[in-house]
Amino acid sequence: MIVFDSVCKHYGTFQVLNNCSATINKGEIVVICGPSGSGKSTLIKCVNGLETFDSGQITVDGTRLHDPATHLPDLRRRIGMVFQGFELFQHLTVLQNVMIAQRVVLHRNKAEAHERAMLLLQRVGLADHAAKYPVALSGGQQQRVAIARALAIDPVAILFDEPTSALDPEMVAEVLAVMTELAQAGMTMMCVTHEMGFARQVANRVIFMDRGEFVDDLPAADFFDGRCSDRAGTFLKRILSH
Amino acid sequence: MQIWNWHGFFIYLTNRYIFEGAVTTLWLTAFSICAGFVLGGALALMKRSRHQIVSLPARFYVWFFRGTPLLVQLIVIYTGLPKFGIRLDVVTCSLIGLSLNEAAYLAEIIRAGLNAVPPGQIAAARALGFEERQIAWRITFPQAMRIIVPPLGNSVNGLLKTTSVTSVISMEELLRRTQLLVQEHFMVLELFSVSALYYLAMTSAWDMVQRRLEHYVNKPYARPTSSRANAPANAQALPDIGQDAR
Repeated sequence: MIVFDSVCKHYGTFQVLNNCSATINKGEIVVICGPSGSGKSTLIKCVNGLETFDSGQITVDGTRLHDPATHLPDLRRRIGMVFQGFELFQHLTVLQNVMIAQRVVLHRNKAEAHERAMLLLQRVGLADHAAKYPVALSGGQQQRVAIARALAIDPVAILFDEPTSALDPEMVAEVLAVMTELAQAGMTMMCVTHEMGFARQVANRVIFMDRGEFVDDLPAADFFDGRCSDRAGTFLKRILSH
Repeated sequence: MQIWNWHGFFIYLTNRYIFEGAVTTLWLTAFSICAGFVLGGALALMKRSRHQIVSLPARFYVWFFRGTPLLVQLIVIYTGLPKFGIRLDVVTCSLIGLSLNEAAYLAEIIRAGLNAVPPGQIAAARALGFEERQIAWRITFPQAMRIIVPPLGNSVNGLLKTTSVTSVISMEELLRRTQLLVQEHFMVLELFSVSALYYLAMTSAWDMVQRRLEHYVNKPYARPTSSRANAPANAQALPDIGQDAR
């Protein structure tokens, strides 16, 4: 589904991504973790072309990113993305947020887009809030709407870029619950997160990144049962110690 | 001679000639703000360009038209262009002068509005597969309007009065017609008071439109309950700004 082949990127002399290779198969849930500045967010943004990379190749659902024939908007409409800062469109209601890409990008008619949006809002438990504007919602609610918005274009995979990092602790659970439900429904997910509980319970694989490199790429069970590298072990100890 | 002639005042207040002058002022303003907005929008986009070949002419335009008096611009258009064989009537010259001048100010207002749209909103639209043109129309422009509308209202208010400068090229708008009557009847105070009342009526009417516009663009950002603990701090409705900058 998503194939990274020797992906490299640097800012000046600083190597952000260093020879990253991995394959994410259909239906897999892959968690990317690592210390801050290790290149996780840059990597995930490369998948839908929000960031560029210097060399190597990323192939998404058969489409190569480094290919002059690839029209980025066409590729992006097949992948959903959820951002750390939610990024709901502030001038639109919750319902309109979930409808707009269906109307503008997929050219669905109004009734169809409305019906699909309401179904998705029900799925994330926010159908009652459809008429509200984003500012009237809590962070957790906004992020659930953002997930519904990403699902509205019927993506083949969803990218999560630290979806719970900007949330108060009591709101993390409601977002993780929606993500877990999605995972169980068979969605292909690539998720940058520090939520190790989610990674252990929901992910199939964990990729540990440090200084732009894929240090570990292990099944989640192995990763958490001490079969990870020393660098990952140190990282885990540090974030789980409190 | 009387100090103040009430009879004369009311005669001029209901005078058709003066009234039509006010109507002229209104459509001069309406046309110039619309044309200025379109041209100003184009200039704002040019100024935001990374390529100097595109941004420099726009910067020069804004620098020139904001740096010279409208009075001079109008006279140059009215008396200068015929020397190059371009002969335009007074109305056309007035509309061109006002629009070109207004565009320079509106370019800066629109640019500020476009710059105020958070980059994350554009990234989110890109991630959904929007084309750049769709992002501009569906996301950037609607969100920029919230920043643009308050100063745009100021521009309309100012322009209603600035149109009087076209009287120097003998455009018969409200002030010019007032002056013509003054030369005939010498009721200086009464006539200018009448024209002041007309200007007040027009700016007041605009104030009401402006308030509705601001309410409309701020609606998504106004929180229903004032005590929402964790809504973002930058989502407050913008305060009203003062009405006269000129």
